[in-house]
Amino acid sequence: MIPELTGHTLLVFVGIPALVIAAIALLVFASSIASGPRYRPGLSWWAPPVWINGPAATKPDPASLPELPAAPGTLATAGSGVARTTGGASASW
Amino acid sequence: MPVGDAFTPDQLYDIERAVRHAEEASGLRFSVYVGGADSETRPFAQELLNELEDPDHTVLVYVDPAGRRLEIVTGAEAKRQLSDTAAGLAALTMQTSFATGDLTGGLVTGVQQLGTNAHQAPLLHANEPHKQ
Repeated sequence: MIPELTGHTLLVFVGIPALVIAAIALLVFASSIASGPRYRPGLSWWAPPVWINGPAATKPDPASLPELPAAPGTLATAGSGVARTTGGASASW
Repeated sequence: MPVGDAFTPDQLYDIERAVRHAEEASGLRFSVYVGGADSETRPFAQELLNELEDPDHTVLVYVDPAGRRLEIVTGAEAKRQLSDTAAGLAALTMQTSFATGDLTGGLVTGVQQLGTNAHQAPLLHANEPHKQ
């Protein structure tokens, strides 16, 4: 014998499970929603450039970024604040 | 990919705090740039360094998330305090975090490591006459 579908039955067997599933999904994704978009290596980068402790300690205007030197590997000699020789390291991932 | 800032205010605060601590520990100036480069990253990072007020005493950390490139550029005087080997070790630390998608953690840890490696012990009793 097939029981009749009533509003109460639907609430118990459909509404409550749906509510539980929604709550679990919210708990799982809450942290990623709160922290915003996350960097994923290999995918495109979406954000404008950020310069921390830069010349004006603000985000630079892309139009005002320095021009690259004509010959790679040679440093510009004009200007008062030009580093003479530089060191450091490089890496990629 | 959604449009937005690269870092949340909390993440920016963490990076800025690491930069400040590194500067206090080493006496050098630290700068962090996160963004793309139109061409080769190394010359671009060197040009960014030259844009700063005192490039000789500055350590610039350049990160290109799209190109997955990292450059650490030290000025002429900063190079004497922070060797290329020490910079390479910090680059390795950052590289590991970046590969897992943790930009903020990599920058904080890397800048801290750079500041620690560039730390110079204070010269004590340099002006006192030698006593037998």
